[in-house]
Amino acid sequence: MTTEELQAIQVDKTVDARGTSCPGPLLAAKKAIGEIQPGQIMEVLSSDEGTKRDIPKWCTKKGYEYLGTIEESGYFKIYMKK
Amino acid sequence: MAKKLVLALFSGSVDKLTAAGVILGGAAAEDMDVDIYVLLQAAFAFKKENAMTNDRVAEITDKKDEFLASLKRLETPHWTEAFRNAKEMTNVKIHICGFAGKVWHGEKLEDFIDLADDIVGIGEYMDAAENADINLFI
Repeated sequence: MTTEELQAIQVDKTVDARGTSCPGPLLAAKKAIGEIQPGQIMEVLSSDEGTKRDIPKWCTKKGYEYLGTIEESGYFKIYMKK
Repeated sequence: MAKKLVLALFSGSVDKLTAAGVILGGAAAEDMDVDIYVLLQAAFAFKKENAMTNDRVAEITDKKDEFLASLKRLETPHWTEAFRNAKEMTNVKIHICGFAGKVWHGEKLEDFIDLADDIVGIGEYMDAAENADINLFI
């Protein structure tokens, strides 16, 4: 998805893992994904550089759809569909 | 069927235990089954009286204070908390090597922190290692 499409997306759940280091954001995402339904969209906020590569790989392994990442000042917004 | 990680955990130092905790976090995120075999020096760290007070490091020992301060600055969970989180999120079993326990005067399960599930012999590790998708020694 393009950045514009991601910015316009309706998010069902936001996980704010800013300030935590690896594997904190990934584990926060894993915990939170259980709280949404298939087809819903989750956004993970992370200031950990490794997370923007970890979460897309994790999505692929777990069968979730990685939608894209937006880089903000000092953190990333990572989007996925369950 | 879940993939299986087997970890032969020899080190009793905080730096390597913290690294093990990070790897366990990755395994938990992927819902892997994990078997941890607590060997020699690690059994010292798993003793009830040592788990929270032991601050030994194995590598770059001249930078120990900086390392420990960085863990605090980064709000890194203590290794016991990282292990506990992993146990809550996926199937993690922690086995204390019977010989290692005796080395540190720990012959009963209650001599160790409550993360430990049982005390076993090396045959259990060999069986698990044969069937592991990933087998690590730390």
